[in-house]
Amino acid sequence: MLNLGFVVRRLLQIIPTFAFILVVTFVIVRLLPGDPLSAMAGDRVTDAQVLQAKAELGLDKPFIVQFIDFTERVATGDLGRSFVVQIPVVNLISQRLPPTLLLTGMATVLAILLAIPLAFISALRRDRAADMAIRGVFQVGLSMPVFYIGLLLLTVFSAQLQWFPVGGYGDNWGDRFYHLFLPALTLAMSLAAVLMRNLRSAIVDVLNAEYVDFARAKGLMPRIILGRHVLRNALISTVALLGPMVGTLLGGAVITESVFAIPGVGRLMIDSIYGRDYPVIQGLTMALAVVVSLIFLATDLLQAALDPRVAK
Amino acid sequence: MNRIAKFAAASALMASISLAALAASLACADAAPRGGTMVYGRYADSLFLDPVLNDANVDIWILSNLYDTLLLPTDDGKGVQPGLATAWATALDGKSVTLSLREGTKFSDGSPIMAEDVKWSLDRARNPKNGIWNFLLASIDSIDIKDPKTVVLNLKQTDPAIIAALSVFNSAIMPQKAFEAQPGATDADKAKTFAEHPIGSGPFMLQSWNHGSEMKLVKNPNYWRQGDDGKPLPYLDGVTFEVIPDDATRILKVQSGELDGSEFIPFSRVEELKADDKLNMELFPSTKIAYGNLNVRPKLKDGTDNPLSNEKVRLALNLAADKDAIIAIVTHGVGTPMSSYMSTATPYHVGQGAQFPVDVDKAKQLMKDAGFEKGFSFSCLVIAGDVDEVGIATALQQMWSQIGVTLTIEQVDNATLTSRYRAGDFSMRLSYWTDDIADPNEITSYFAYSPTIQSQHSGWKSDEADKLFEDSQKELDPKKRAEQYARIQELYKSGPTIPIYESPYPVVLKKSVKGFLQIPLGNNIFSGAYLEK
Repeated sequence: MLNLGFVVRRLLQIIPTFAFILVVTFVIVRLLPGDPLSAMAGDRVTDAQVLQAKAELGLDKPFIVQFIDFTERVATGDLGRSFVVQIPVVNLISQRLPPTLLLTGMATVLAILLAIPLAFISALRRDRAADMAIRGVFQVGLSMPVFYIGLLLLTVFSAQLQWFPVGGYGDNWGDRFYHLFLPALTLAMSLAAVLMRNLRSAIVDVLNAEYVDFARAKGLMPRIILGRHVLRNALISTVALLGPMVGTLLGGAVITESVFAIPGVGRLMIDSIYGRDYPVIQGLTMALAVVVSLIFLATDLLQAALDPRVAK
Repeated sequence: MNRIAKFAAASALMASISLAALAASLACADAAPRGGTMVYGRYADSLFLDPVLNDANVDIWILSNLYDTLLLPTDDGKGVQPGLATAWATALDGKSVTLSLREGTKFSDGSPIMAEDVKWSLDRARNPKNGIWNFLLASIDSIDIKDPKTVVLNLKQTDPAIIAALSVFNSAIMPQKAFEAQPGATDADKAKTFAEHPIGSGPFMLQSWNHGSEMKLVKNPNYWRQGDDGKPLPYLDGVTFEVIPDDATRILKVQSGELDGSEFIPFSRVEELKADDKLNMELFPSTKIAYGNLNVRPKLKDGTDNPLSNEKVRLALNLAADKDAIIAIVTHGVGTPMSSYMSTATPYHVGQGAQFPVDVDKAKQLMKDAGFEKGFSFSCLVIAGDVDEVGIATALQQMWSQIGVTLTIEQVDNATLTSRYRAGDFSMRLSYWTDDIADPNEITSYFAYSPTIQSQHSGWKSDEADKLFEDSQKELDPKKRAEQYARIQELYKSGPTIPIYESPYPVVLKKSVKGFLQIPLGNNIFSGAYLEK
């Protein structure tokens, strides 16, 4: 079932993606108004000091020279040092990526755990009270801004009931799951809403399909019909959604990371864009491109597992 | 001894023991309890903990916890007190300063602080190639080590601010050998690796730092300063900084008890936190000012005529702006009016009350005299999402419409704003300022002395102000210097800034936190802080 050639082909596709992103990011950051020097020491710097700082950062060299220097270093795995915090970009990313990956992972799991059963109930009880209630709650959740949901959860469950800590990331692995539960739930709501709606309509379609009628006619138990035939086929289109949505979660977690004070890459990306921290923006965009490509690959493999026709 | 004598002796002994016990318990009651780690919430993380090469308040305000200077600022931020130097004396001709170094001081790694470290640190700090703060020590020509406990600074000219400069963060004493042993060809390269494991002589040492998340400081066992109980400071075992950019979350965390305190409380939350009987809502006096910065060149970058180049127009704008109303709306009454371009906490400040009391009729008349009876329009740059700046700009927009001025508010990000500001491509921007030295020379060199940065990139130039500033930089007589600064402030009334308000540092602390201080220059002082049990 697992076509090795398929996997290798997809992995190799990451390389040109990576190269394309490298060039595009390099150009785009330099087109932004202002430069790293603008973001530093706004009021207390003379023109002479700005020129000196520019030279120290290598920003006075022609574009093409900067690009060649940069690609040479990337080829050796050196992503440079952050202009703003002076530590190697690789160290910064390896500190800040795990929290976001863990948060996104937990949010995805929570979203799936919420979406699948609720989609089933909604589909099987279509247009009845349960269906209306489930869709209604998700509608409300989708219309509330993420920071509002987050702050609400923090105020009620952390500050007042003290069931959870007020934001933060925790000190060790067990602690981290505890700290990330509320933010993961906040993120999961919007993903769950989309997954639920999609899965519900896919289930409704499949329930009307001929092969399901045939399975019923054969006398198979409802549990087996739902599990082997309905769910597996309905998931195909929903899994196709999962890839792009999880990719969006990665970057879009910035608001959740700010409200819950999680030191992830969402905040790092925003801060480095504000600070015009070119090495970090470049390094982080490339790292995220690789991560998102791997997520897409994983969802494609999941789809292929559900529908062998995909892998051909 | 007969029985009465024995009895008397015993009573005397009992009495003296009781008195001693009483005295001891009183002393213990006075002495601050030791131990515990204070957890403090910050809105942004530090960036680069090098005293010389940093350029942001997020670094400056906590550097004094890791590094010591020869002289320390006093708690009111206006003077100096002994630090790593116990005595200082300026020569009669004012061209040298002799410093006596404190006995027995050590860096946090246990190595003794030598006169060589002092000379090296000051030479590094005053090197024009290093960072942006070297101007504070620019008057130093050379540094001599007279003996292991005496260092002499030879000055190029008399400098009334050199003593204050020796209490500023960039003159911190660093270990020469440890720094130069770092890998790297340049000072900047060595500074980067040194800053990852800094060695200073301040009350705390850096234990760990997760960038953007948490910084842990622990007490420096070799710190020289003593507490009220005669034992070395700090009272705390450590300080942990947690970075929580969201104001609401940070406050929730203090209210839930997870943080012992937090900085940068929004003005809108001050009243609410004052009413909370578990918390102390402190408003530490500061040198922080909010002001409008105008471009006063005859023509703007795009070649159009600039009405703001007219002094009458600028005065009209100041008179039409009701600063008291802005203070009420934006700072919820926490701010105070400005009577000069510098804060009331800055030495040699003159004036009382609002510098331009609101007078809309006079403003209209001035606009007419200047030939702008029909008004004009211009735009103001503000930092997108900065609640206070947007609030100020919106209030000004309303107020200036009364005199025919249409103000457009352009919200941009910091880097865009700064690059346009430095290029002189703006009509107006809003900004804040805090002093880094207890002397008016820093703010004046940027605001009024045109050679530095064309008076806040405004193009304003007063030959008289320039000359007064240059003279004041050498003037040792405080009375004469006060007169010079009074005149500069008088001239600056037609200057390129619109003084809006001064505001204190809003810090909320648990009631159990004592001894914490943020001085007017911004430094967060944890050396005397303690947690009551």
